[in-house]
Amino acid sequence: MKRKSSRKPKAARAKRPVRLSQKKSTMAKPPKADNIAALVAANAQALGLNIKPEWREGVIFNLGLIMRIAALVDEFALPDDAETAPIYRA
Amino acid sequence: MLDTPAFDLEFATAADIAAAVKSGRISTQSVVEAALARIRNRDPLLNSFTAVTEKRALARARAIDEARAEGKKLGPLAGVPFAVKNLFDVAGLSTLAGSKINRDLPPAARDATLIEKLEAADAILVGALNMGEYAYDFTGENVHDGPSRNPHDLNRITGGSSGGSGAAVGGGLVPFALGSDTNGSIRVPSSLCGTLGLKPTYGRLSRARTFPFVTSLDHLGPLARNTRDLALAYDAMQGFDLDDPVCADRAVEPVTPHLDESIDGLRIAVASGYFKCKTAEALTAVDRVAVALGADRDIEIPQAERARSAAFIITASEGASLHLDRLRKRAADYDPAVRDRLIAGTMTPASLVVKAQKFRRWYRDQILKLFAEVDVILAPATPCTAPLIGQDMFEFGEAKMPVRANLGIYTQPFSFIGLPVVAVPVPLDPLPIAVQIITAPWREDVALRIAHTLETKGVVAAPRPSF
Repeated sequence: MKRKSSRKPKAARAKRPVRLSQKKSTMAKPPKADNIAALVAANAQALGLNIKPEWREGVIFNLGLIMRIAALVDEFALPDDAETAPIYRA
Repeated sequence: MLDTPAFDLEFATAADIAAAVKSGRISTQSVVEAALARIRNRDPLLNSFTAVTEKRALARARAIDEARAEGKKLGPLAGVPFAVKNLFDVAGLSTLAGSKINRDLPPAARDATLIEKLEAADAILVGALNMGEYAYDFTGENVHDGPSRNPHDLNRITGGSSGGSGAAVGGGLVPFALGSDTNGSIRVPSSLCGTLGLKPTYGRLSRARTFPFVTSLDHLGPLARNTRDLALAYDAMQGFDLDDPVCADRAVEPVTPHLDESIDGLRIAVASGYFKCKTAEALTAVDRVAVALGADRDIEIPQAERARSAAFIITASEGASLHLDRLRKRAADYDPAVRDRLIAGTMTPASLVVKAQKFRRWYRDQILKLFAEVDVILAPATPCTAPLIGQDMFEFGEAKMPVRANLGIYTQPFSFIGLPVVAVPVPLDPLPIAVQIITAPWREDVALRIAHTLETKGVVAAPRPSF
């Protein structure tokens, strides 16, 4: 689509967004705050991390953020044969 | 040898310095001494350097002057001072990567590959630069070394994490510097400090002997005040390197000889949708560049927001994995904001990280299809001009958003799949802001030709600070 030069360009586009052929995945809902706190406590123990009480709130906030953002990735259905994108040469 | 007083070393280009050194118009020693004097005088304001390699630089300068006196041919960056983000190994210095913890590391035994390549082209390293801790940063603030300061307003941030690189180049201390870019850390400070920045194709430049952050996404590249200098530095650094397992086995493809070639016939589009500017300054900058280039179409980048999310997840988990052992032993020695994110990152579910890596390949395939329709995509580099140091939120359309997490919203969807990008500064008043020029993989030449054309038209320029 031709672009008009202006200070308020329309959100026009040359191409429709890619339509997914797959159905939405059966994504789990992001955990609630209490569950995130439990997740932090359990993971800290499993990984051998000592989280001081004054750090806990920041860690819980950030893990909650990660889980919310990860939901956007999780909900996107990929085919079973999708490959990861690491760099490795045998 | 007589130094010509009229030669403005302060804001001279790397190309002009090299030409003057080669011709004998100026000595390398005087170039380096002038750079060291600028650092002494001005860096107390900018706080961009964490180490100055004065002795080494002067020794190199003498060697280059002697080589010239003996009639030896000098390299394309003869006598040009440069500095590097302090995550590059510099022989004799501990590689700080912006941290307190790394100060306990022994001094590096050997320079990073890119420093070796630049010095093989007769450039001269003058020091190491401030940065956000472990590169997990978009602000250029650092709790251990203090914030690097924006040369156009010392109360404002430089952007990060290559904040010292942006300040040192934008502030006229060195003609060019090196930075790293995992999610936008070259392009964000370029935008806020008014410099040009090149994030090359993933795998193009060696990362050997630099402190990593997220190896799936880490890139290195130059910042400079004009396109030719950016191209000269880039050309000097190209080449396969066995010491970086990600470095592509690809022939050197010099771009400098092609900068003046026409851009006629290139299909240029403006990224729409997710990239639609929500601040007046970003909108003005993109519009000026688009008009100057005759960009006559918009193009949708499919799933850009999801791409940013996937980059966020990979960054959180891979960055955290790198630091897991240090988090067990020395968590209290991190910047609190970085520590909390890294600890949280260690707990990212592995199944979601793998999914993000699979999405990365899917997204790459979709974006590469766009390059059958267009050659160049334009997008804003940052959502706003430089916020104040310590500012938490910025206005984004009708919403307010956290500064620290969102300065990279426009850069992440492109570095996520390793596309080459040149950030070009549009010198708005009172503060500059950059536009990203994005091309297909390995087409840095096209992006740099576009940048050079915009400079020629006067649309893009690195503004000179007023101090």
